[in-house]
Order: sequence, then C-alpha cells, then structure tokens
Amino acid sequence: MTDEPPRRRYSIGVAVDWFFFVFAGLAAVWLAYLSLTDTFRVGWWGFLFALAFWILLAYLVLPRLHRILTTIYVPDYFIGRARTSDGLLGDPVNLALRGEADQIHAAMAAAGWTKADEVTLGTSWRIVSSTLTRRSYGEAPVSPLFLFSRQQDFAYQQEVDGNPAQRHHVRFWKCPDSWLLPGGTRVDWLAAGTFDTAVGLSLFTLQVTHRIDADTDIERDHIVRTVTGADPRVQVDTLQDFSTGYHARNGGGDTIRTDGDLPILDVRRVAVGTP
Amino acid sequence: MTSAPDKRPAFEPASQLLRRPEADPDMKRPTATVAGAVLVFLRVLAGLVVLASILLQWRETIKDIDVTVEGTPSTPELAQGVLIAVVVFLGVILLADAALAFFILIGHNWARVTIMTFSAISITGSFIQWWTGNQVITITGSLLTLGLDILILLALSSRSAAAYARRNERR
Repeated sequence: MTDEPPRRRYSIGVAVDWFFFVFAGLAAVWLAYLSLTDTFRVGWWGFLFALAFWILLAYLVLPRLHRILTTIYVPDYFIGRARTSDGLLGDPVNLALRGEADQIHAAMAAAGWTKADEVTLGTSWRIVSSTLTRRSYGEAPVSPLFLFSRQQDFAYQQEVDGNPAQRHHVRFWKCPDSWLLPGGTRVDWLAAGTFDTAVGLSLFTLQVTHRIDADTDIERDHIVRTVTGADPRVQVDTLQDFSTGYHARNGGGDTIRTDGDLPILDVRRVAVGTP
Repeated sequence: MTSAPDKRPAFEPASQLLRRPEADPDMKRPTATVAGAVLVFLRVLAGLVVLASILLQWRETIKDIDVTVEGTPSTPELAQGVLIAVVVFLGVILLADAALAFFILIGHNWARVTIMTFSAISITGSFIQWWTGNQVITITGSLLTLGLDILILLALSSRSAAAYARRNERR
C-alpha cells in the first residue's frame, strides 16, 4: 500500500458527476415547464398534470436547484446551523454534549426518549400510514440534517399523545477530532432539538414536511430538564449568548427564536449498562 | 488530545468540490439507484411493446415500408430485410439497456455513466428539435419517453446514486 503513488486530490469522475448533476437539473426544469404547458391543453385531465408538475417541482427540480446554488454560496464550515439534504439552512444547533455515544444513549433512554429509526422505504411508508390513520409510531425516523458535511449520527424523539404529526426530537452529531466550538470550548457532540407542531407545506421547497415550533428554547430546556431529572450524574454547563442568530428561519421556512444560550450536557459520569 | 487543534481554514478551495466522496463499501443501496434502474427497465418494457407491435403486424408494416436505393424500386424482399435489421437492432439495444440496468442495480459506475451519457444525448436532441420548433412535445407524443429519459438522468445523477456507484473508490 505504501508504494503506491499519491493520488490526485480531485477526481475527473466527480467532475463528470457534477456535469450530469447540473444537466439533469436543467432538463428537469424543462420537463416541469412542458408538463405545466400541457396542463392547460388537455382539459379536465389537466389536474393530473398539475399534480405531476407539483411533484416534479417540489421533489426533483427545486431540491436539485437548491443543491447546486447552496453548494456555490452557503459556507460549509460551522455556523451554528444544521443543513438540509438540499443544502438549505436547517435547525439551529442548540445543545452540546461531552461523553461517549453509549453514555448519551443511556442518558436519553433513562430520560424517556426513543431512538429514531433509520429512513428507509419501509419506515417512510409507515410514517405516512401512521400519520393518516393517527396511529402511534414511537420510533418514527427523522429527516436527515447535515453538520460537518455529515448526516446526524443518531436522533431521539418523544411522541405527543400518540400522534406522529407532533413530536419532540433531537439530532446528534459527533464533532471531528480535536474540534473546538467558536470561542474555544471543547465538546464531543453537538445536537439540534426542535418540536414538530404539525405536518404542513414547506415555504421554501413546497414539500410536505413537519412545521417546527418557533421557540426552540422550550425544546432545548425540555431536553436538558428530562435528561438531568432522570440522572443526577449529568452535569450542565451553559455558554451564555452563544447563538449566531436570535431570529431566523429553518429549511422549511419556519421562524426560529432563541435567547442564544448553549447548554453543555456532561454525561461522562453516566455508567453504561446500569439503569 | 493535548495538542492544539489546527486552525480552521477561512476559505473553501474550489477543488474541494471535486474531492472523492468517502469510500463506504458497506453502503446500503439508496432509493435513487433503485429508482434509476427501475426506470431503465420501464424503458426496456416500452421498447418491448414497440417490438411486439412490429412483430404482430409484420405484413402491414412491410407494405408501409418504401425503400428506394439508388433508383432501384422497392421490393417486398428488400423491405423484409430492412425490417429484420431494424428488429434485430432494436432487440440488441433493449438487451444492452436491460443489462446496464442490472449493472446499475449492483452498483457499477461505468454502467451508470453510460446510461447517463446516452440519456443526455437523447434529451439534447429532443431539446434542439423542440427549440427550433420542428417538434411539438405532448403527452400523446414524445413527452412520456422524454420524461422517462429525464427522470432516469435525475435519479442516476443524484448524490446518493453517485456515492453508491463509487462506494469502493479509495479517496
């Protein structure tokens, strides 16, 4: 392995991928235009085309355009916000942790939180059917959000009254090795907790998605309260006025308000494997 | 852990965009890859319908063919020969398409790039015809095949499909 010449940092194959990525985006815009103009040509059946147009626009064209544009102008370093898979700014990072993954799992489980399933075709179908039939789905997956260019490592949630449209949820990302918060504090994990209030249409992407409660502090304090309440060995340390923005919008176009504090949950004294 | 961390760079070089994705041989097959392969199979299915309609109406089709080569009048034998050539050609294309769909499904990058290249060429051709006003694209006409091509390209060019096809590449 050591005798191999060093490889180029960039790849022509990836450049080719980018070409097709942008080409497909432009072609999809054209297809959306064609299906829209056909809507008015075929009479009453046109509503099917209008539906096809919306699906094309919301789920294929806009995500692709957002992805291309945000790659150009949204910085990829830490700005205190997670990003959606389209590259838009998502939920604010409002919680930090010190400790190992197993200790976080133990602390969250003790505090009455449920680990979310991975997003697959099966679990996606289950979340749709349970929302329509108002059945409970305690391990419903959460959508992927990105920090440090990585999807969340895991997520926890609490259902409200057995209705999957409303839930508490918090995503966790492991910080890169020897990474410091702006200001120089060392933490092992960052987390973003928000409260889903209802299912609705997203303002930016036109997709069906969860709306989140604007006051993200309530959710943040709820997480801190439940975790510290369940295990007195969890210590809390707060960075005052840490947040970069006090009023903002997330990727779904929901407003966000915060007092800017960043609590650091220290779970290093939590013993794994004991209740 | 005692050493001071490297300072974060304040800029992101453009070559960062061309960085190889992280190799992940255990990556699960993403929906986009499955969707792309299924759409290619649908295209094969549509081709088979065309092929079947030619075979079922063999005699009528031959009557419609009018081949005139260098002044020699069209003969039924010549028309038959041309039709056989067309059917064989179409069959080979469909077979290759189906094989490529299979290789996409098991995650070969060359198959993905090949399909994307041909789709892009076909889309560009349709666009030029549409732009110059020679072709009206409607649902009763070529919107379905064009839509299929564009959806195939969208699915296979997505980041998850690309990452899956390159899951064994070393950085």
